Amino acid sequence: MLRVGIIGAGGIGTVHANCYKSIPNAKVIAVADIIPERSKKLASIFGADFYENADDVIKRKDIDVINICVPTYLHSEFVIKASNAKKHVLCEKPMALNYEDGIKMIEAASKNKVKFMIAHVLRFFPEYMKAREVINAGSVGLPKMVRTYRGGPNPAIVREWYGYHDKSGGSIQDSLIHDIDFLAWTFGPVKEVYARGNVFKRKEPFDPEYDLVMMEFENGVIAHLVSDWSGNQKTQFGAKIEIAGTKGLVEFNSFNIPLKLNLFEENKGKAESVSIPESPLSPDIEPYTREIREFLESVEKDSQIPVPAHDALYALKVALTCIESMRVNKPLEVKL
Amino acid sequence: MKIGILSCDHMHAESYVESLKRIEKVEIAGIGEENEKRGKDFAQRHGIKYFKDYEDILSDKSVDAVVICSANAKHAKMTIDSARAKKHVIVEKPIATTIEDAQRMIDACRENKVKLMVSFPVRYAPPIKRMKEIIDDGKLGEIIGISATNHGTMPGGWFTDKALSGGGSIIDHTVHVVDILRWIFKSEVKEVYAKMGTLIHDIPVEDCAIISMKFENEVFATLDASWSRPKSFPTWGDVTFEIAGTKGSMNVDAFAQHGIMYSDDIEHSKYAYWGDDMDYLMLKDFVKCIEDDLREPVTGKDGLEALRVALMAYESVKKDKVIKV
Ligand SMILES: NC(=O)c1ccc[n+]([C@@H]2O[C@H](COP(=O)([O-])OP(=O)(O)OC[C@H]3O[C@@H](n4cnc5c(N)ncnc54)[C@H](O)[C@@H]3O)[C@@H](O)[C@H]2O)c1
Repeated sequence: MLRVGIIGAGGIGTVHANCYKSIPNAKVIAVADIIPERSKKLASIFGADFYENADDVIKRKDIDVINICVPTYLHSEFVIKASNAKKHVLCEKPMALNYEDGIKMIEAASKNKVKFMIAHVLRFFPEYMKAREVINAGSVGLPKMVRTYRGGPNPAIVREWYGYHDKSGGSIQDSLIHDIDFLAWTFGPVKEVYARGNVFKRKEPFDPEYDLVMMEFENGVIAHLVSDWSGNQKTQFGAKIEIAGTKGLVEFNSFNIPLKLNLFEENKGKAESVSIPESPLSPDIEPYTREIREFLESVEKDSQIPVPAHDALYALKVALTCIESMRVNKPLEVKL
Repeated sequence: MKIGILSCDHMHAESYVESLKRIEKVEIAGIGEENEKRGKDFAQRHGIKYFKDYEDILSDKSVDAVVICSANAKHAKMTIDSARAKKHVIVEKPIATTIEDAQRMIDACRENKVKLMVSFPVRYAPPIKRMKEIIDDGKLGEIIGISATNHGTMPGGWFTDKALSGGGSIIDHTVHVVDILRWIFKSEVKEVYAKMGTLIHDIPVEDCAIISMKFENEVFATLDASWSRPKSFPTWGDVTFEIAGTKGSMNVDAFAQHGIMYSDDIEHSKYAYWGDDMDYLMLKDFVKCIEDDLREPVTGKDGLEALRVALMAYESVKKDKVIKV
């Protein structure tokens, strides 16, 4: 039985916590959040202890694994602390805000001989796994042209910190990094990127961000990626991927879902329709559960973690190169 | 009004002639097509007269206008010949394969006082008109960026012969979307960066391309101009726009008005399109602009500017850098 501490009981912290309900060989025993109501609420699911200060979780001797779900600007600090306390670490993406921090995180984990994984959950999404399966089966021939979309609502509307580039990295570093990691994992190293967007034009944290990225891979694949934070809280979040090959084409679109529920809520006197899209999956293939389960398995068996930390570092590098390309308005090679 | 068809190199001649038949007052003079087999088949299929030499249509005084559907590189000569014969011209896109040719076509039509319209039917698609209306009304606020697609299946034939087409999927598929964006923004493209490749088919021209552009009004856009739809795809391709603005966003699919048909004859599904016929709407407007002596709804200059962007894309690929006007 692995004993887990969760740090950060916000949006994704709650998602992770719920996953542990269907992971029998792990138990959440501590939760920390600077907002006590949040840690208390999550801890109550498991009868776990709750704290305001993350250090109180990290220093607990009886904890094997720290699951880091705090905002991005805190990732490196907490990963390094947890590693130094000899805890295995599962940390949310993006790895860090800058490349140097990413390297320090990897060094801390390897020095302390702990497992360290960045939660690039897209690799566990069944539709993205299916995309790779289709490619590997050769059904579309050699993959050549790829289009991805990710986005919808501007997350700053719900959590203001997302709106500051020095806290979240912005939509490319925060969101597009999912697709970047998936594409690099699937098609190999990126040769060159070119990006246009409004990163350097936005002024306020709530201003929409919309970025369009072109990518050429060393194997000749060309990709176009959309990173969209232009919607409001009513905009539906979604992701799409299309892969055209020498023999066919395959596409996945998260807007096509099995269940659309429309509820009429009373809101300031006037009825309003809130649509809740759902794509129910069993815990066997539910991506967040699967990601955590496979990470914990590699901890228990002392085997290779499913998402190598260097892959996460590479995705970060590509994301940073996209932003730099936008700044200098030039295509840039991805140099490590 | 009597209208002749010059060449059926381009498959759009098929739908143009059927559209013309539906327009009251229009009489079809016939098809001029040097390839006898193809020309005769076309004439028979559509119940119109066949001429081997298009000059025979141009020399007929009763012919008012022509629809030019030859291979891209032949547009210039046919347009100039037609202008000299005092025929109004609507020419298939792209207007030409070089800026010089396009300019000569514009000049010839001006000097001979005939209309020159470039065939950009997408402007006439009601969903696209509605998209323009929504943007013009300011409903989306300030436009930030646009991700557009104009995909297709690989057309083969002269489309892959650079001497006749001027290039591959870029020259074939860039001009529609560029025209729509120029039309909406009343702004020219000032910067282009493109990546292309012959990735999917064994052909001598590019079949895949992504073009990134910036307009004088600072709006940026990308366009996927690829012949990346396989033969088994349920339709020929698409024209789509995803538009992000400061007050909202919009997704537009010009051909979304379709059902899905499953047929054991083809063993895959096919879209059954039920929306408006944009070719018909465009040709009706062409006829009207001649009748009422109005300015062309889509001008030769519109054709030239759209072509310029396609040519900038080629230059960008060649130099692997951002090309600025
Ligand atoms: N993989 C995914 O699909 C996915 C989805 C959403 C977010 N994320 C990532 O997860 C991270 C968190 O995002 P979120 O949306 O859950 O944010 P959030 O703001 O909802 O949650 C973060 C929580 O951390 C707490 N916190 C802040 N500082 C703290 C500190 N010093 N000690 C303890 N707790 C602290 C906050 O009070 C908050 O409750 C981000 O890096 C984000 O990029 C990943």
